[in-house]
Amino acid sequence: MKSSSRFRGAAAHPVPSTAAQDPAHPNRFSFIFASELRERLFWFCNLRWIAVAGLAVAWFIGPSLGLPSTRPSLLEVAVLVAAYNLVFVALLRLRSGSTPAYHWLRTSAILQMVTDLSALFLTVHYTGGCASPALPFVVFHMAIGTIMIATRIMYVLAAAVCCSAAGLFVLEHVEILERHPSVTGGSTSVMSCVLSTALLVILVFGVVYLTDSVTSQFKLRNLELYQTTTELRRSLEERDLVERRKSHYMRISAHQLRSPLGTIKTSIQVLLDGYLDPGSDEGRRLLVGTASRVDSLLAIVNDLLELAKMREGRVKAPWARNVSINQILADIFDAADPLARDADVELVPHFIHEGAAVLDWAVPPDLVYAFENLIHNAIKYSKPDGGTVTVALGIDRSHATVVVADDGIGVPGDLLDDVFLEFVRAPNAKHMEAEGTGLGLSIVREAVQMHGGKVSLESAEGMGTTVTVVLPLHYVPPEVTDSGAAVD
Amino acid sequence: MRPAGGFRQRTMKRPLILIADDDAVFAASVASILRMRYRVRTAVNGTEALAEVENDPPDLVILDVMMDHMSEGFDVARKLRTDPATALIPIIILTGVDRVYNLRMEVDESWVPADLYLEKPIAPDELLQAVESLVGPGVPDDE
Repeated sequence: MKSSSRFRGAAAHPVPSTAAQDPAHPNRFSFIFASELRERLFWFCNLRWIAVAGLAVAWFIGPSLGLPSTRPSLLEVAVLVAAYNLVFVALLRLRSGSTPAYHWLRTSAILQMVTDLSALFLTVHYTGGCASPALPFVVFHMAIGTIMIATRIMYVLAAAVCCSAAGLFVLEHVEILERHPSVTGGSTSVMSCVLSTALLVILVFGVVYLTDSVTSQFKLRNLELYQTTTELRRSLEERDLVERRKSHYMRISAHQLRSPLGTIKTSIQVLLDGYLDPGSDEGRRLLVGTASRVDSLLAIVNDLLELAKMREGRVKAPWARNVSINQILADIFDAADPLARDADVELVPHFIHEGAAVLDWAVPPDLVYAFENLIHNAIKYSKPDGGTVTVALGIDRSHATVVVADDGIGVPGDLLDDVFLEFVRAPNAKHMEAEGTGLGLSIVREAVQMHGGKVSLESAEGMGTTVTVVLPLHYVPPEVTDSGAAVD
Repeated sequence: MRPAGGFRQRTMKRPLILIADDDAVFAASVASILRMRYRVRTAVNGTEALAEVENDPPDLVILDVMMDHMSEGFDVARKLRTDPATALIPIIILTGVDRVYNLRMEVDESWVPADLYLEKPIAPDELLQAVESLVGPGVPDDE
């Protein structure tokens, strides 16, 4: 069974979550991309295999070069480093299938650093303590760590490294730990150890500071690049959505124009081909009907132009100062009187003694169009035996509220959410009034929004409709501000 | 596509055609074309069309798609096809909606049951040919 739905909508393109931020410091230099951190950790693991190879070579050739203390201790360290490196690689690979979690990766990086430093101190211990040639690798590790891990954590690690080194040298000196001779034959005197420790402290903190100074700029640029890319992607998606909506609107508009044109063409063809005599009653009725379709076509075109005009945000819209809503409503009421009498509708004005609602800025023709549309709709869609249309005005310090209420045919519940959309007409309205563009309420909404206001509609089919328009009294349109006009 | 011989040509009586379209002027034009050879009735929406079918079963139903609701013509067509009493009545879908929504307008019982799809606006000759293919040539006015 094929699907009966033929309406296709483009799928939304989700923004891939390629990065995560440190929630505690969302804009600090500690920010690093999760995917980038994962790559660096893999690189770190690869680097570790070189360290394993170096330790194994030192263990193998050390004795033949006359270097003491390399057997079997360095082999043990090499095996230890290889074993935990295998575990780290396996964990990273296991996680590589899914989007890496930043916190997990960050914890992994810290754990790797701590494990490496522990293995390094073991090597330092086996290769001569404070005279060990492995000590510079501690500094090297701190530089790598600063690239991957938040600076404040690295300063904590630097302090821990310095304390551990000093503790190791002291324990070796008081011979709680066995003292291994230096493989390079360097001095392990107290003074040498104090100097080594002091140098280590300066180098470790210095390298963390310098590395952070350099990489923080890169991290910041990285963050800016990410934010810019995200913004760009979002604006492209928004533009895409607007384009799709425009395309849909154009298609619906074209259909609304094509439909009466099709009717007109068919009617003319019927008369031209002689299926009906234009002079006969039936022919004349068809001509009258065709003329009414031309009128409805013109009405649609006019309404579309009106809507387009409002949506364009006219630079030269006729904005006027101190526009009275009372006056606009009174004028519309006067003009609508014959229409109301024909429909046997009583017009009830509740805006005469309610005080003056004066808008600082307004486009009078657009407001007239909006309120005229609402009042005419209320009259047109009254019940066949007549009814009442009430227009009430409420004023507070900052807003004017106009309520147009009728006891007419109402709007079916399933259309209440769509009544302000273009070309939406309720079936009961179509039966009552065949001609209608379905654009009136869209224009009303556009006009009200243009004045910084809001419009809402409540209705129950067969019971009546109430439309509420809320307009701010002191709204200043952007067009007026942009043009540099004097604003009180 | 239903078999070509599926139509019920009434020899003694001019075939009755029901046109359901919410555009009264278009329905009047179509009725003018067909009235020369057939009896014609009109309805402005699906509900009215179904009531007409029940009162006086036509020999052919011509349906617009978008009437009171988006797919009302399709709904009426499906109802007619599923009711054994009306399942054999040929249906023509006459619409302009295909251009708006890129609908697949071809005869396919699993999609929308209709014998023919025609696009608005339609030339009188084309309409007469389509109707004739389903209910026969009808009977001219003067017979």
